[in-house]
Amino acid sequence: MISPVGIAVISANTVREAVRSRVLYTLLFFAVLLIGTGVLLSTLTYVERERILQSVGLAAIRLFGAAIAIFVGIGLIHREVERRTIYTILSKPISRCEFLLGKYLGLVATIWIQLVIMGLAFVAVSWLAGAPLTHQIGLALGLAAVELAVIVAFATLFSAFTTPMLAALFTTGLYVLGHLSRDLRDLGARSDDGGVRLVATALYRVLPDLESFNLTTQALHALPVSGHEVGLALLYGAGYCGALLALAVVVFDRRDFK
Amino acid sequence: MNAGEIVRVEGLAKEFRSGLGLRRKRAVDGISFSVREGEIFGFVGPNGAGKTTTLKLLMGLIRPTAGSATILGHDVGETAFRRHVGFLPENPYFYEYLTGREILGFYARLSGVPGRRIRERVETLLAWVGLEHAGDARLRTYSKGMLQRVGIAQALVHDPSVVFLDEPMSGLDPIGRKEIRDLVLRLHGEGKTVFMNTHILSDVEMLCDRVAIIVKGAIRYEGPIAEFLHSDERKADVVLARVSLELAAGLDARWGPLTGRGEHVELHVDEKAIHDVLAQALDGRAEVVSVTPRGASLESIFLSAVREGGDAGPGGPP
Ligand SMILES: Nc1ncnc2c1ncn2[C@@H]1O[C@H](COP(=O)(O)OP(=O)(O)OP(=O)(O)O)[C@@H](O)[C@H]1O
Ligand SMILES: [Mg+2]
Repeated sequence: MISPVGIAVISANTVREAVRSRVLYTLLFFAVLLIGTGVLLSTLTYVERERILQSVGLAAIRLFGAAIAIFVGIGLIHREVERRTIYTILSKPISRCEFLLGKYLGLVATIWIQLVIMGLAFVAVSWLAGAPLTHQIGLALGLAAVELAVIVAFATLFSAFTTPMLAALFTTGLYVLGHLSRDLRDLGARSDDGGVRLVATALYRVLPDLESFNLTTQALHALPVSGHEVGLALLYGAGYCGALLALAVVVFDRRDFK
Repeated sequence: MNAGEIVRVEGLAKEFRSGLGLRRKRAVDGISFSVREGEIFGFVGPNGAGKTTTLKLLMGLIRPTAGSATILGHDVGETAFRRHVGFLPENPYFYEYLTGREILGFYARLSGVPGRRIRERVETLLAWVGLEHAGDARLRTYSKGMLQRVGIAQALVHDPSVVFLDEPMSGLDPIGRKEIRDLVLRLHGEGKTVFMNTHILSDVEMLCDRVAIIVKGAIRYEGPIAEFLHSDERKADVVLARVSLELAAGLDARWGPLTGRGEHVELHVDEKAIHDVLAQALDGRAEVVSVTPRGASLESIFLSAVREGGDAGPGGPP
């Protein structure tokens, strides 16, 4: 039985911790700065000004979002164990599973709040520069939010059993691989060797396909996006997060807190 | 669960592995004991005996290698019954970015205290541990003793029926110790069960109804403390000054060998005899310098238990 009360208390406190940490404001400041510099870059050219502006902005949002997710996520659970704050918390009527889910949801909420702030900066800059604000941009930001939830799930999983250093390494590695996994699959498909094809397909199945959350091209060129595509991406993201968190709970449940 | 049995530990063992699991250390080696309703139970032992490890097993923070433990009839791996359990860890750590009030509110919500009662509980607890005036400061700015007080407050904020304290007096000044002793007695008065890890024997003597003595991971003694507190074996050292030769001879003849120490003389007597000794000494116009109780039975049990543990015990050096 999972009780939502404990999860909510832990989540709310995780958000409160983030709100009180200065590091996050610094990261957010630089993200907004980068979105703003799109204006500067776009003045260097006469062609496709708005497109460059928005392309820089969307890239900044996705990159900084991922950076913040990894930066905070890698210590999310580890810090609590290392600093022994977890001792008193788990002595209360809250299970390890509820604690872990609470921390995860709290960090996702934090990152989404940051995403909204960056999104508002993006909208402001676009509006000032007279760039079009299409509904595809909204969809792109929405799927970016799902991608960030997947990244936080990875960070939470690693944070549940290893040090922040290793968690950072693993999560960053999977972030990069996640954006290359389609290329890997396509590369394998073109191979003549059946074994290579098999390995490439297997890898693609296991690795996250983070490109499925990338609507940047559609957003910049106002290309049509099918509801089917978005629905699949949502389902895929939810499934992936669920699997990662289930694994994290299993690992975390067996741990000794020394 | 037998009636009135709040904690039951049976054959509980914990083995730590290090160095790729090659080196093993049995910190707790198949211990059994029980804690009864409403008593103050002292879990006593020297440093490294396995007290904290046992408490972590009871709190479900580490998983046992063997054996079982129940609290209020529930296996310690369960969650919901912890609503009735309070825990003060050894050297407690808390979220430093919260204030005293916020952290107690956090623990109260986590423990399922109804929203409308949280404020009142938090204020009550802050007052109990003497932190009313520091309640709005971040924990980052708290001293060690203040954090210990927060630890005690969070252990009690949800009004648990059984409380586990790991070295509750650690880091506190003499006044703080007295306050915590009073707090423990007050909990006892309310009918709560208190389990206390400690190696301070005077606290045990003052507070506990029963003790278990653990040495190198094994229980060496479990039983009531009242028996030996009032036993005949308690002795005291009486130190006197300005003792005339006549008085010295009289004391020596009646109370056994009198030893000299500079201008002072010392007598080693039964505690029951102190009154008579002092009366005789004052009659002879001597001055009483000091009366020191010696060899409290708990201490002697403790020391002999530790010695019996020997070096061949389970926790011995590898
Ligand atoms: N995580 C761990 N890994 C390996 N050994 C451990 C670990 N934790 C404790 N030990 C060992 O287990 C033994 C018991 O430790 P424990 O902390 O339970 O003692 P204690 O009775 O609480 O002592 P103290 O009075 O100093 O607090 C010690 O020898 C300690 O070295
Ligand atoms: Mg200890």
